[in-house]
Amino acid sequence: MEEEKVEVVIVGAGLAGLSAAYVLAQEGVDTVVVERGDYPGAKNVTGGRIYMYPVARYFPELWEDAPLERHVTRETLTMMAENCSTSITLDSDRFREEPYHSYTILRSKFDRWFGDKVMEAGAFVLPKSRADDVIMEDGRVAGIRMGDEDEIPADVVIAADGVLSLMAEKAGLRQAQQPKHFAVSVKEVIELPSKTIEDRFSLGPNEGTAQLFFGDLTKGMMGGGFLYTNINSISLGLVVGIESLMERDPKIEVHELIEDFKARPEIRNLIAGGEIVEYSAHVIPEGGVNAMPRLYSDGILVVGEAAGFGLNMLLTVRGMEFAVGSGVMAAETIMKARESKDYSAASLSYYEELVKESFIFKDLHSFRNVLSMLENPRLFNFYPQAVCDIFEKLMWIDENPKAKISSTVIREGISKFLNWSTIRDVAGMLRI
Amino acid sequence: MDIVVCMKQMPDLQQIRIKDRKPILENVPLVWGDLDKNAIEEAALIKEKVGEAKITVVAKGSDKLQQGILEPLAMGADEAVLLTDPAFEGSDSMGTAKVLAKAIEKIGAYDLVILGEGSTDNYSGLVGSALAELLNLPEITYVRELNVENGKVTAVRNMEESFEVVEANLPVVITVAQEINEPRLPKFMAIRKAGAKPRHEWGPADIGLSADEVGENAASVDMLSNLAPEQDRKNIILEGDLDEKIDALVDALIKEGVLGR
Amino acid sequence: MSEILVFCDKDETAFELVSKSREFAKELGATVSAALLGNGAAGKADDYFSYGADRVYVSEHSVLSDFYVATYADALQQIAEGEDVEFVLLGSTKRGKELAGRLAQKLNAGAITDANDVRVSDGNLVADRYAYGGNTLASVAVNTPKKVISVMPRTFEAGLREAKEGEVVNVDLDLKDPEVRVVERRDKAGDEVNLDEAEMLLCVGRGVQNKEDLEMIEELADLIGAEIGCTKTPASDWEWFSEERMVGLSGKKCKPSLYISIGISGQIQHTVGVMDSKIIATINTDENALMFNITDYGIVGDYAVVVPKLVEKLKSLG
Ligand SMILES: Cc1cc2nc3c(=O)[nH]c(=O)nc-3n(C[C@H](O)[C@H](O)[C@H](O)COP(=O)(O)OP(=O)(O)OC[C@H]3O[C@@H](n4cnc5c(N)ncnc54)[C@H](O)[C@@H]3O)c2cc1C
Ligand SMILES: Cc1cc2nc3c(=O)[nH]c(=O)nc-3n(C[C@H](O)[C@H](O)[C@H](O)COP(=O)(O)OP(=O)(O)OC[C@H]3O[C@@H](n4cnc5c(N)ncnc54)[C@H](O)[C@@H]3O)c2cc1C
Ligand SMILES: Nc1ncnc2c1ncn2[C@@H]1O[C@H](COP(=O)(O)O)[C@@H](O)[C@H]1O
Repeated sequence: MEEEKVEVVIVGAGLAGLSAAYVLAQEGVDTVVVERGDYPGAKNVTGGRIYMYPVARYFPELWEDAPLERHVTRETLTMMAENCSTSITLDSDRFREEPYHSYTILRSKFDRWFGDKVMEAGAFVLPKSRADDVIMEDGRVAGIRMGDEDEIPADVVIAADGVLSLMAEKAGLRQAQQPKHFAVSVKEVIELPSKTIEDRFSLGPNEGTAQLFFGDLTKGMMGGGFLYTNINSISLGLVVGIESLMERDPKIEVHELIEDFKARPEIRNLIAGGEIVEYSAHVIPEGGVNAMPRLYSDGILVVGEAAGFGLNMLLTVRGMEFAVGSGVMAAETIMKARESKDYSAASLSYYEELVKESFIFKDLHSFRNVLSMLENPRLFNFYPQAVCDIFEKLMWIDENPKAKISSTVIREGISKFLNWSTIRDVAGMLRI
Repeated sequence: MDIVVCMKQMPDLQQIRIKDRKPILENVPLVWGDLDKNAIEEAALIKEKVGEAKITVVAKGSDKLQQGILEPLAMGADEAVLLTDPAFEGSDSMGTAKVLAKAIEKIGAYDLVILGEGSTDNYSGLVGSALAELLNLPEITYVRELNVENGKVTAVRNMEESFEVVEANLPVVITVAQEINEPRLPKFMAIRKAGAKPRHEWGPADIGLSADEVGENAASVDMLSNLAPEQDRKNIILEGDLDEKIDALVDALIKEGVLGR
Repeated sequence: MSEILVFCDKDETAFELVSKSREFAKELGATVSAALLGNGAAGKADDYFSYGADRVYVSEHSVLSDFYVATYADALQQIAEGEDVEFVLLGSTKRGKELAGRLAQKLNAGAITDANDVRVSDGNLVADRYAYGGNTLASVAVNTPKKVISVMPRTFEAGLREAKEGEVVNVDLDLKDPEVRVVERRDKAGDEVNLDEAEMLLCVGRGVQNKEDLEMIEELADLIGAEIGCTKTPASDWEWFSEERMVGLSGKKCKPSLYISIGISGQIQHTVGVMDSKIIATINTDENALMFNITDYGIVGDYAVVVPKLVEKLKSLG
């Protein structure tokens, strides 16, 4: 205890960092987590849905009473054109069966709770502390520095500091990145009584809905939006590619996008009377295997989004399961390395083996082409408009005889959807 | 020399949200009173100067103190007395002073008792004076400079129209002003070691009081209501280049009738 | 018959309290008295009567020549204990606040400080004061037989004076020598200003780091006819201004038509002093500054650039 060194220092009390810390603490490893926010979760932005199947096997005892929000029983995908939209909804009994498939989650609440659990397990979580650099000793990472005055020497460092991971960069594991590789997101948490939410979305108690949007809400730019229902709030946000945002003429700010999105009749009525209790903006990495940095080096491991473990499908972002999984794998790696007190790169390379064999790598791999497909601008203006137009024609009744419906629609359908570019789009989608 | 520092933990006032004019305190992180950090810093500085000294922090509050107390211990306190019994909840300032006085009497040795000139949330400034009266000690409030030597203190007080230089013999109660020092940010290793410093948790019985002599039962002030003042602001951030912003601001202020009348 | 006893180290504040206590006295069926302590006390009796005191207690005891809180508390206890005194109203000056705690303890009374309104309700006095650093305004009442309340200066107006007779009680106090001795008193630079009455107010905060920049800020203030106020740091730490110009929880509460904040983050202890402004404008480099939450018109920018431009613009308007 008096020794001026700890075994493991983890930078970032997000899901990745806390998962690693929890496992290590339970094994009695002297572990410290530093977090720049006022408390774990204070600075976390997440759209808000976690899939349970990949993570339920880790610390099952924790998930039991974790402060998750609602289990998702309904999935809706909405294509937004300028003045109308078309939605597809899946409401399945399978989603109502336990163990539930996915939950909505508020990170400010969840991470804070998780932080307390980690402390109870015996690790130390140090809030309001920002790591600014790594300590290098004989070419290996030997701890972290906070400001000019303070440092924490350690046997091994876990960089769990999220998307722009300063630690991975300082340790030379990745280069500073280009904007092209990022998207930006804004998210609001809008508070409403849970009864109101259940009425408006027609949900049972504890049931939740997940809605994804694409089309006009990003004004033709690559991106999309999401809405998740929490117990007594709604998480609403959107994501746009930085590059398409920068290239857009005339310029538009992200916060204007979300204001316009909220003003749409499809959204307006759902959030009416709610109070915005959180507003946050965040960058999202392109993700996928192509964007992965080196995962380890002498005395350091990189986990979670810091390691690029995220899938940016623009309408939706996935990363929490990867964060939990990679955190646990880093902890397992350290447990193994600890037997021989060998924290060299060779010893820590076991972590990469674990990742490569796991769902993380497989998922990232199979989605690697998502982004190129999403770069297709037709997805954001042409299709939503075309589908809406056809539906509108079908649904519209006026004083003219509603004859030849089928022939109109068929003719229009063929001309709009059967051409070379659309066929290429479909083929592209089939590849993923 | 024995120094006692009284410190209060409270919700971070900047993070309190108001809903239907009521403050929402749940989930607001707890912090130490600003001036109470000046108080512990001053104690630590005195200890550094005189060499031999023991600093005891006394805090009445919730069980979150267990965690929070590491900060003052890391800043230089040697020991902590935590008054976390639920019976203490709901005290008014005079009740707080009573409990602190009993705890300090139990600690027994005190040459200097240091408090903030006001707590960051209440700023009632009552506790220090009432405590001095209960302990039957002289007091020097609003202190911006403090010197302790040969059983005597010299202090500069920040009063409305003057700085007042005063002196007194130990023991004495001091309340400090914010400008007295710059509280240190404890280093990680100090926080880590703080966990091993002695902590005592005392309930009413430990300090010779019964449960109905403390807390809400014994409060001499009743709270009839506590609501946020109504605020309705336009929250317009002016956009454009600087000239446009300036023009827009001046236009708006003229339209509001507050400029150019 | 219950009695309201008024004391403040500043006579003008005591007059405000005596005047207002007349109204309370009518509703409560009480009498109003005041304590006059220290050198020259006797000579002030007629002033106190003229504002409405029925009775004054006077002592020019030698140890009262300097204000030491414990000595004054002792004196007031001796005055307040014997009689029917139910309410002790003090001015919430620095001395008044420290006195409140000591005196209340001696009287076994509950105490309220920094009241910014007091009214009669159910035979008791109810006071408003800020809580949670200014996030809320609490209405509170003391429930002990004797009650100590310190009231912020200028909460009430000193009423019209009228020639009136009253009872002078020369009290014979048993007082000890003070244990705290005043060695020296260094006067602060005199600065007569009533920020609480300013129509236009411009406040500077810690964002204004160069004292030279005060020049452009003064120019702006002159152009719009504003008084200059500040947050705590420029007054207490940098001593650029006297504390008369500090606005907030421990400073002045202002109600201007226009308040402009320059380099102020908007922490509640400051903003509580400007909540009642009609219009709030803000200049701050940090778009996330709390100040913007209570702002009507905000400019995100460096004051060093914004203020000169604003001055230029106002000049061009003539
Ligand atoms: C708008 C949006 C929607 C999303 N939606 C979903 C979703 O629905 N489902 C899903 O699975 N994923 C989603 N994600 C992705 C998910 O949030 C991330 O993949 C996940 O949070 C990554 O966890 P992490 O622990 O690696 O990083 P983070 O959660 O980002 O945690 C990093 C932590 O490190 C701290 N930190 C950073 N730098 C430092 C430093 N220098 N010193 C100290 N502390 C530091 C931060 O404050 C933070 O607490 C979404 C992301 C965004 C932005
Ligand atoms: C019990 C108690 C009572 C208190 N009473 C009072 C009181 O009565 N009055 C009071 O004011 N304070 C009071 N305080 C202090 C208060 O809590 C705050 O510390 C203080 O108000 C902060 O002052 P500030 O906004 O000037 O400084 P800061 O909080 O440091 O903010 C400075 C701001 O300037 C901005 N800035 C920096 N550079 C520039 C630039 N170039 N151009 C434009 N903007 C810039 C920054 O973005 C920042 O927002 C009290 C505190 C306590 C504990
Ligand atoms: N609950 C408490 N525990 C310990 N000290 C306290 C407590 N409340 C107030 N104090 C001390 O009393 C000072 C003045 O508080 P107040 O009278 O509330 O303005 C504070 O600055 C603290 O030093």
